[in-house]
Amino acid sequence: MKERLRGLDPGLLLPLVALMFMGILTLYSAGRGTPLANLWVKQVLYSFIGLAAMVYLAGTSHRRIFQWALPVYGLGIALLVVVLLFGKSIAGTKGWLSIAGFGLQPSELMKWMTLLMVAQRLGSRPFHLLGARDLLEAGLLVLFPMLLVFAQPDTGVALTYTPIFLLLPLLRGIRFRWVALGLAVGLAGGSLAWSFYFKPYQKERILTFLNPERDPKKHGYQVTQSKIAVGAGGIFGQGFMSGSQTQLNYLPVKTTDFAFSVWAEERGFLGVLAALTLFGLLLRRLLLIAAEARHGAGTYFAYGCACIFGAHILVNAGMQVGMLPTTGIPLPFFTYGGSSTLAFLLALGVALNIHNHAKVR
Amino acid sequence: MDARARLLLQQRLAVSRTVAWLVIGGLVAFYGHVQLGLRSRFRERALEQAVKNRAMPAPRGIIYDRNGHKLVDNRRALHLVIQREDIPTDATAIADVAVALELDPDLLRRKIAFARNAPGNRMVILQDNLDEAAVAKAELLRARFPFLTIDVAPRRTYLGSDLAGHALGYVGEVSPDQIEKDPKRFQSGEIIGQAGFEAGRNELLKGLDGSRRILVNNWGREVALYGMLEPKPGTSVYTTLDAGVQQVLKEAFGEEKGAAVVLDLRDGGILGLYSAPSLDPNIFLDRKGRAQTGVMWNDPARPMLNRVTQGLYAPGSTFKLFMALAALDAGKLRPDEVINCPGSFRFGNRSFRCEHVDGGVSLVPAIARSCNVFFYNLGARLDIDDIYKAAERYGLTLPTGIDLPHEKGSRIPNREYKRRVNKTNPANQKWFPGETISVAIGQGDVGLTPIGLARFYAMLATKGKLLTPHLLMGTRDDQTGRVIPAALPDPKDVGLNPQWQAVLEEGLYRVVTEGTAKSARIQGLDMVGKTGTAQVRAQADKSAYSKFEKRFKDHAWFAGYAPRENPQIAFAVIMENAGFGATNAAPVAKKVCEYWFQQRPTKPLPPPTERLEDALHLNLPTQEAPPVDRPAQAPPATPPPPATVPPPESIPPRKETP
Repeated sequence: MKERLRGLDPGLLLPLVALMFMGILTLYSAGRGTPLANLWVKQVLYSFIGLAAMVYLAGTSHRRIFQWALPVYGLGIALLVVVLLFGKSIAGTKGWLSIAGFGLQPSELMKWMTLLMVAQRLGSRPFHLLGARDLLEAGLLVLFPMLLVFAQPDTGVALTYTPIFLLLPLLRGIRFRWVALGLAVGLAGGSLAWSFYFKPYQKERILTFLNPERDPKKHGYQVTQSKIAVGAGGIFGQGFMSGSQTQLNYLPVKTTDFAFSVWAEERGFLGVLAALTLFGLLLRRLLLIAAEARHGAGTYFAYGCACIFGAHILVNAGMQVGMLPTTGIPLPFFTYGGSSTLAFLLALGVALNIHNHAKVR
Repeated sequence: MDARARLLLQQRLAVSRTVAWLVIGGLVAFYGHVQLGLRSRFRERALEQAVKNRAMPAPRGIIYDRNGHKLVDNRRALHLVIQREDIPTDATAIADVAVALELDPDLLRRKIAFARNAPGNRMVILQDNLDEAAVAKAELLRARFPFLTIDVAPRRTYLGSDLAGHALGYVGEVSPDQIEKDPKRFQSGEIIGQAGFEAGRNELLKGLDGSRRILVNNWGREVALYGMLEPKPGTSVYTTLDAGVQQVLKEAFGEEKGAAVVLDLRDGGILGLYSAPSLDPNIFLDRKGRAQTGVMWNDPARPMLNRVTQGLYAPGSTFKLFMALAALDAGKLRPDEVINCPGSFRFGNRSFRCEHVDGGVSLVPAIARSCNVFFYNLGARLDIDDIYKAAERYGLTLPTGIDLPHEKGSRIPNREYKRRVNKTNPANQKWFPGETISVAIGQGDVGLTPIGLARFYAMLATKGKLLTPHLLMGTRDDQTGRVIPAALPDPKDVGLNPQWQAVLEEGLYRVVTEGTAKSARIQGLDMVGKTGTAQVRAQADKSAYSKFEKRFKDHAWFAGYAPRENPQIAFAVIMENAGFGATNAAPVAKKVCEYWFQQRPTKPLPPPTERLEDALHLNLPTQEAPPVDRPAQAPPATPPPPATVPPPESIPPRKETP
């Protein structure tokens, strides 16, 4: 047991605990005086369950984790199929399984299982020997669950699978023409999606992102309000539990998508700086773990983990201030949610395990 | 993994750490821009949406009768409104709201456009005076349309319902048309008097709106109060009306149509003003009631018409007093001149009938018996333009200037009038002397309003003073309940020859003592007056008259004053399609005089309470024992008989019970 605890990396744990504390404070303030007043208690509960699981994963056998990759991946696929058939619809998305009164969102867990599977597959051979076939296989491993999530349809969560593709520049380096090609493919795909795939509300969101004031009472409302909240925060913030946007309910979905605006309004720029710095330290720590990992699978997992965290942070924090379009992508430890919190902590558990493995040897 | 590959991987990881910090740095820069650079702008917007100025409509002034009985009061009511700051810009949202509330979308759009451009911060009222069911429905609607608010505002209540409907009028929201017509006077969303006294004295009755600075949450609920400018309530006023007189009039008319007005001869104050069928102003206050008003506008009984000030009727024989006056003034008649009445009058090749053969009559019996032939002769002696000039002198041509809106002036024909009326028909523009003969007995084109006729009789009673009838007695000092008398225009002296006045008064006296209105005589009180019958349809054969449908029957008039010595009140009564004036209109005047001179001084209404109906029902008997007998049988201890009418009291409204 002592051995296990010693392996816990303070460089990762300290920012993590600090961020979780901030997140719970934010939830407490945001839920005040609304029907969601007890949400923070549940979040504390999820956090403790997640932390326990994380500690367990950190100390468990390194090899076994990656051995379990395939069955876990299979289980994840099965869950995604089950949820498509028997899932509970929330806001038009069939993404939840109801288990003993708790809602489980398999798509949140599945992105980490997919990452684990891909890391395990790619790590099985020295990376400079990896051929196009291996990369294609890894790509298909990601695409398959992604399509199942698209089918729910939950575009937001499905897109959070894409950071796994960022493994590619790590393995192959990056050339300018690749970036150009990526942009071209992205634009073409985007315009095709615009014409054939996007639903009107999604088009509205994108148009609104380009100009939030075009319809401030409808779709632009959320971003307009979150920008007001963030901006009104100023340097020092309005004070804990005193943000007018938050407390008077002008800020929409303030316990989930726009939780970070609550923090920004009540704690100001200094609070935002602190939170973002902690997120930066977390990413840095994950990338360092990737660097010290003993073998390819560990490196790929920790790196992918940093990519997924980074994407969540960028997209969610960016959308609060209108930097990026509004999506339902959660901000780790700020956005309320059992499945996502659990999933983030499990992923960090695997990363800690990799770190532990590297140090022990 | 070989060392070279390992190094490459390490390098790429180092690059990605830099990228990670760049991402974080980019976010920090963006947040810095929003939170440091744009801070004041966003803080302002946060305040702008959370701190609101809300108008607090001022309650209108309370209206009392002359004795302090409350006629109109205010209650609290809930309205469904859009606050000025929340007015949606989205046209479809407005249309949706209109559909949901069953309002006319075009009208609502216009209303909202007005409100947006109007000064002040009045709200747009979508539905007023919500009842419980409507509040529940409104709450539901607010979930769909978050810009709606339910607001508390005072509403009017008319305590006597239809007791004085036409005199008091009613209130309603100012319409876009009214704003367009008079943009300086009205603000959008304002509740204004729409008829009657409420409209005539709107500026006095309306107060000054206040406002509140409040913190509201996203659902428009008030969270905190920052400051308040108290609304200044409108001025409470005493009217000259007497609730008791109104009640007498209401009961006297019953189901009949007609109008009556009673003037205070001291200053022209209106003691009673009743137009039948009356209307209950309360029905204009909510939507269900207003829906009925469309029907009321089209009702053939014309309940929306204030017959006292807007009904033009042929005055019939009540006009004869004026004809006599015109002839005496012009020197075409000596007061004791006798004219023979053979029962009919030939003028040119036409014959004008008289009811009866009076033989030789002078002016006094001619008035008493209402001899048509006598006045036909006067008509033949006078020119129509001279008659018009006399009418001008005695105040019959212009509106009386009563403080009620849309008063009609009386119609006295002359040559110019005929030319104007027949502008499109040149062949018919010439005035024929035969027409003057009809005018002489108050038929033909002569049209008088009851208020106009009452003022003429008041002029006779006051020996030549032309009063301005009015409903406003004075404003109320809210501390003491005392009246602060309103300034009145001085009565105009028309220079009535006292000799003529004495002769005419004698004639009017004989009408009641031995003439056409004998039945209306009151024991112990010298009421004087003249009956009149205005033809609705000319009848050649008298025997057919009794078979006429009611609506073709004659209008019955009675106008006069009382008492003969030291007169105090003047009145005019018309009862539509009632037949002969003496049998139908005169009893109304009789009841008013009995109430005013006999019942009121001995058994006044109880002191005012909140409930007007209590006061009225307690005191107004259903007349089992006619009070006519009372003075004769009264023991000496009881108050003096009404022959010595108590001197005019100095308008003391009783102190109101808190």
